[in-house]
Amino acid sequence: MSANGSEPLLSVRDLHTTFPLRSALLRRVTGHVQAVAGVSFDLRRGETLGLVGESGSGKSTLARTVIGLERAASGTVTFDGRELTSASPAELRAARRDVQMIFQDPYSSLNPRRTAGQIVAEAWEIHPGVVPRSRWRDEARDLLARVGLDPSHADRYPHQFSGGQRQRLGIARALALRPKLVICDEAVSALDVSIQAQVLNLLADLQADLGLTYLFIAHDLSVVRHVSDRVAVMYAGRVVELAEQEEIFRRPTHPYTQALLSAVPVPRPWSQPPRERILLTGDVPSPADPPSGCRFRTRCWKARDECAEVEPALEPRLGLHPSACHFAELPAAHR
Amino acid sequence: MTESPLLSVRDLSVRFRTGGGHVRAVDGVSFDVRRGETLAVLGESGSGKSVTAQAVMGILPKPAGEIAGGTIVYDGRDLLAEDPNRVRRLRGDEIAMVFQDPLSSLNPVFRVGWQIGEMFRRHRGASRRAARAAAVELMERVGIPAAARRVDDFPHQFSGGMRQRIMIAMALALRPRLLIADEPTTALDVTVQAQIMRLLADLRREEGMALVLITHDLGVVADVADRALLMYAGRAVETGGIREVYDHAAHPYTRGLMASIPDLDGPRERLTPVRGAPPNLLALPSGCSFHPRCPHATDRCRADDPVLRAVDGRPAEHRAACHHAEEVVAGERERV
Ligand SMILES: Nc1ncnc2c1ncn2[C@@H]1O[C@H](COP(=O)(O)OP(=O)(O)OP(=O)(O)O)[C@@H](O)[C@H]1O
Ligand SMILES: Nc1ncnc2c1ncn2[C@@H]1O[C@H](COP(=O)(O)OP(=O)(O)O)[C@@H](O)[C@H]1O
Ligand code: SF4
Ligand code: SF4
Ligand SMILES: [Mg+2]
Ligand SMILES: [Mg+2]
Repeated sequence: MSANGSEPLLSVRDLHTTFPLRSALLRRVTGHVQAVAGVSFDLRRGETLGLVGESGSGKSTLARTVIGLERAASGTVTFDGRELTSASPAELRAARRDVQMIFQDPYSSLNPRRTAGQIVAEAWEIHPGVVPRSRWRDEARDLLARVGLDPSHADRYPHQFSGGQRQRLGIARALALRPKLVICDEAVSALDVSIQAQVLNLLADLQADLGLTYLFIAHDLSVVRHVSDRVAVMYAGRVVELAEQEEIFRRPTHPYTQALLSAVPVPRPWSQPPRERILLTGDVPSPADPPSGCRFRTRCWKARDECAEVEPALEPRLGLHPSACHFAELPAAHR
Repeated sequence: MTESPLLSVRDLSVRFRTGGGHVRAVDGVSFDVRRGETLAVLGESGSGKSVTAQAVMGILPKPAGEIAGGTIVYDGRDLLAEDPNRVRRLRGDEIAMVFQDPLSSLNPVFRVGWQIGEMFRRHRGASRRAARAAAVELMERVGIPAAARRVDDFPHQFSGGMRQRIMIAMALALRPRLLIADEPTTALDVTVQAQIMRLLADLRREEGMALVLITHDLGVVADVADRALLMYAGRAVETGGIREVYDHAAHPYTRGLMASIPDLDGPRERLTPVRGAPPNLLALPSGCSFHPRCPHATDRCRADDPVLRAVDGRPAEHRAACHHAEEVVAGERERV
């Protein structure tokens, strides 16, 4: 086996995912959306990498490409030593077992006609040999208990659970194949805050007990800060800043990260030193027609001519972590 | 002398007929909205925030929903007792509402300028030309760039944030004195969310109108609201000045919500969520309906339903529906 403990669990290199744009009338391809446009990162074993960015920035597409639900236009995805973009169907199936996904809307991702127990066991049908059929019932109950559901509710249907319970069920299903990597795509975003906190604690416990690695996608930065070891910030299909959690929140050097952080609502603003508020103007650019050079330049208050000409690379700047800005600098408070 | 409130809701109850029986979605809720103030109505989903707003606006889904009791007095006029036609006009002219999902509240087949202009044509008898000019002006007012060029675009040609601005423009068209915004930024990205909250706060100040901000997010309103009203299972459980309520929460549910929110700075500690889940309105717990989730619950809580009351040692307008509010404020340790 090529995998060993020190190499990253997942390595993504220069990944591109494009979708064809079709005209409404003739269904002719009229252009392409670059949903993911040259993304590279590593995921270390046992860590949580948070992925943040505005709606449409490409977070879900990146996740879906990593697990093979979308085809990469170019670039590589190496999971546990295996290169997946060129892998055979059998290799892919094996890798899929090790990578599971939890979605935002637990309801639409759960089959309404199957019981909780059947939903959890579904994966064992598709991947025989993980759990022998004679053990399905007991294993399913164990899993339900593991995620804080009452095992005696194994015969209930999804609609008989609350939103938070359905999300727990989605987590139980994801754990059924004992994955190494769990991708949480807005997994707690639709939950009420008290239930969200319960599920966040559950995810932390599962990681500690089972040694899971998480790719945690969320638009709520307080939540991302709470769970992540490292954080990647996406903008218009690209990662613009990537660092340890502390670094991103204390010493962001990319203007977009700084704007994003300054907009996060805090419950008791009066108990904190006044924050510099950066209100961005304008909209996220159309991914079908991104700006030349730096994709953030149409909304960046620091943009200069160079920004339209040269695309800034994601590389360490100011002797700190990687940031994709020609004029990276620390927030005013740190200068 | 205290001025009379702009809106005064007393003992409001709203009932829905459902397959499983009648649910009391709003149960004996009372609150005031003062002239020119911003009131935040907070609580988790299903707590009755939207239904309260629907009752005030007279847009409860019929026939399933009906007002089962209470009064809604706007500027001295009892909206539930007056002639429905006159009340309808009042609700269009003086009380306006903005909803969470701007796309579903805009008509996809009409140009946005026409939809905004409709307000002036229908309510003010404006000419087409005057209505269009007014629409452009409003679009500029709510921060839509190149409004004169975009007035003839359709809703789908705008981003979510821009669509919400258009909804706000429509709501402001008749210069209401009360604007109710139900989760106006919930569907939006944080950067856009901040822009919209800023816009609402600015407009409120410029127009001198009162604003009711309904949200499940305690953070988004902290900067802009004067007072807060917290709802749980159809009840008002705590109310008062927003800083007073957030800093000295007297209801265990409010405390629980605050403790469930991860901090943006400071040490990352394990969260202390409210245990359990909100109750089924068809089978409310006895006594205080929060008792199965409450770390302070006693026998009294399981038997007697607490009323909203002043909290000893706190400002008079800080009120909580909890038997043990004083101990909660004092931060008494959890009983087991
Ligand atoms: N199947 C598809 N066909 C065409 N375009 C698509 C498709 N899926 C995604 N896109 C486009 O790709 C871009 C990235 O979308 P994606 O869903 O990855 O964003 P996201 O960051 O997950 O956003 P959100 O926060 O809203 O979930 C968007 O412009 C989106 O419209
Ligand atoms: N049209 C309806 N028919 C039946 N029940 C409803 C209807 N609208 C709301 N309810 C119920 O009323 C309660 C309060 O709902 P709502 O006011 O929408 O909550 P929120 O605080 O999330 O805005 C919920 O239990 C909800 O299911
Ligand atoms: S490269 Fe230029 S436009 Fe891009 S973020 Fe940096 S300063 Fe702004
Ligand atoms: S009345 Fe009792 S159960 Fe209800 S919130 Fe107060 S302490 Fe808790
Ligand atoms: Mg997504
Ligand atoms: Mg609502």
